[in-house]
Amino acid sequence: MATTTASINITSGDIMDNNVSISSTATLTTARTTTGLTETTGLARRKFAAASLVDLITAVNTEVTQDKAAKVYIRNTNSYNAEQYVTVGIGNSSGTPLYMGRLYGGDWMFFPWDAVLTDAGGRAESLTDGGGDHASNEDITVTPSHADPVVLEYMVFFE
Amino acid sequence: MATTTAAITISSADLLTDPLSLSTTSTLYKAGTSTGLEQVKMGKQKLATGTNFKLLLATTAGANSASKAYIINKSTDATYYITVSVSTQVIGKLYAGDWMFIPWEQAATSQDLYARAYVGENTVEWASFHEGETLTS
Repeated sequence: MATTTASINITSGDIMDNNVSISSTATLTTARTTTGLTETTGLARRKFAAASLVDLITAVNTEVTQDKAAKVYIRNTNSYNAEQYVTVGIGNSSGTPLYMGRLYGGDWMFFPWDAVLTDAGGRAESLTDGGGDHASNEDITVTPSHADPVVLEYMVFFE
Repeated sequence: MATTTAAITISSADLLTDPLSLSTTSTLYKAGTSTGLEQVKMGKQKLATGTNFKLLLATTAGANSASKAYIINKSTDATYYITVSVSTQVIGKLYAGDWMFIPWEQAATSQDLYARAYVGENTVEWASFHEGETLTS
């Protein structure tokens, strides 16, 4: 088993009268165990140069087991630009994803991913056929706000 | 203006053949500006099983914003977990000790953040760094 940790440190000396300091470290484990996750997509890097909705990570291609433990890291590597961001969603680029939020240049996010497969044949059928057409799979989508190039780095840890 | 930073470090000595070490820090700005987010809410709750609780409420002021949400499952029993949802869409499961940090656009006021406990009573802590909210009534 592998040991992978993810630490966060949020600090501010002036958002309140008193300092804000939030620190935590999670050890990434398989679902409902203390066994470490052993699989990863590795760190990937993609450039987007169109203001259109696309799949960033497809549940099928990552071979993530749905409803298990999977963690996603995404970072917008661009320099901060107040007018340029990507909107990250869960769903499919051919449908209407649920938009979580905006990643501006320099922003990152880290979240658990259910990665449920639900293709045109429904969830039950997609469990057996692999959700190949991923009509309603819970993919991770991005929508750049501008056609100006934006580069994202991302990585999935899964079981 | 306030300056708030969020840093992440992901590391492993044995997940890959070579050590993994990934670190980055971002400064939390208001949407469309270089001004830091100026508002924060924090809390800690115990969640009983069986109900999908609204953990953080989306607001009109939060629409199309650059708000950030942090949630951690403080449970210590590895079998315990919570699901976290935006509106009706489950994002994923936070197992004991897991945390998440996401931008939270609140494009619609229905985009509340929900948490639901499984197996037993889970304890969660959360924080929202946001902008533009004024309590009027």
